[in-house]
Amino acid sequence: MKTDPRTKLLLIVCLSTLAVIAVDIIYLSIIFCVAAAVNALLGTNIIKVLPKMRFLLSVIVFISVAQSLTVKGGAPLLYIKNIVFVSTAGLLYGGEFALRMSIVILSSLIALSTGSRDMIDGLIKMRIPYEIAFMVSITLRFLPVFRDEFSNRLNALRLRGFDLKKAALGKKLKIYSYLLAPAVSGSIIRSRELAESIESRGFRAFGKRTSLRDLTLKSADYFVIILTLACAGGFAAFMYIKGALL
Amino acid sequence: MKIELRGVCFGYNNKNPLIDDFNCTFESGKCYCLKGRNGCGKTTLTKLILRLLVAQSGEIVIDNENIKKMSVAEISQNVGYLFQNPELQLFAPTVKEELSFPFELNKTLTQETEVRIEETLRQFGLTELKNSFPLLLSGGEKQRLALATIFVRDIKFLILDEPSSSIDCEGKQFLSELIADFVRSGGGVLVISHDEEFVALLDNPEMLWLGEAE
Repeated sequence: MKTDPRTKLLLIVCLSTLAVIAVDIIYLSIIFCVAAAVNALLGTNIIKVLPKMRFLLSVIVFISVAQSLTVKGGAPLLYIKNIVFVSTAGLLYGGEFALRMSIVILSSLIALSTGSRDMIDGLIKMRIPYEIAFMVSITLRFLPVFRDEFSNRLNALRLRGFDLKKAALGKKLKIYSYLLAPAVSGSIIRSRELAESIESRGFRAFGKRTSLRDLTLKSADYFVIILTLACAGGFAAFMYIKGALL
Repeated sequence: MKIELRGVCFGYNNKNPLIDDFNCTFESGKCYCLKGRNGCGKTTLTKLILRLLVAQSGEIVIDNENIKKMSVAEISQNVGYLFQNPELQLFAPTVKEELSFPFELNKTLTQETEVRIEETLRQFGLTELKNSFPLLLSGGEKQRLALATIFVRDIKFLILDEPSSSIDCEGKQFLSELIADFVRSGGGVLVISHDEEFVALLDNPEMLWLGEAE
């Protein structure tokens, strides 16, 4: 489905906002299903992206489990005498956190179905200065660069005969913190080189930029925008009435 | 030391294998020069040897042991690898720590290794730079440091990926002499290079081709 970048940005904002303000697991599940359906309709290849987000997903699972075990209240589900390990409140709290984070991730994946050029054009049409729009686009493209910087250094360490898998957790954390500094420095050096490259190609040489392809909202976009605003507003109002808002 | 590649196949996607049925044997005491067109898989091949990537079929055997049973760290005890961009293999806050950090991690930093580190720094002309931040060194210095991190350990085989890309004539001469000394002392070297001038400095290397000849 070919959609204007502004429509997608509105979808991202609405879904993320609803995920943050909703507190009930049922409503969060509904928002999660809608976010997944929107991604499917826009043709985002979630299966392809998931392996790259292994680390983030494992952190979410870890925090969710930790919350399930630490938050007490409700009916006890797993307990020995008076000591409660898992309760219904803890389980709900952990589940809500996992769902909320999953919705935020799914919403951000919507942006993947748009090229960086289209996203910049969309932001400019929303009266965001070109420089800022360009920076936002570059920032998103820089995340894999930072990941590569880090993994290269990790490989360099392994290639010097250090087996990270056999290291204790404390040592692993020390190594990660040790490798973070050069990865950040490397990324800063690369960003400086990128800035020089952009400047040398005439970035901001002229005050007003023109665009070969002008983005225009089609009737389908207007339909999606109105539907999104109506559904998001209606759902938020419904949650407010039911007392399920933050 | 003997590294054997038997029918190795690898591709980044299933449709087009980049390396298809590659067979080769690398032995100690010899220098090999691997050539091939850009993007034919030379760097990928070295990553397969080091197990940074895993071959889709075929086998890679180091001293009669399939590397499937070995970790990257275990392979690296004997095989040193110089990245195409040496900057990417530097991570310590100072030049000296770049050499000592893995010893510290493995708890093998002794008086003897301290002496060895100092010797290696001297050998690679890095003594005066030992307190400098590695990422701010020049291209040639970074490469010398990356090589020093390899030679500070007892390696038996050395893989150099485009080693002459960021160094001047003097640097190339230094590197070719280092390779010759290492081969004379019984080590094996695999050099990936497009630089004919540098290849001419190597002492009678065995030429290998990956993919179609240029």
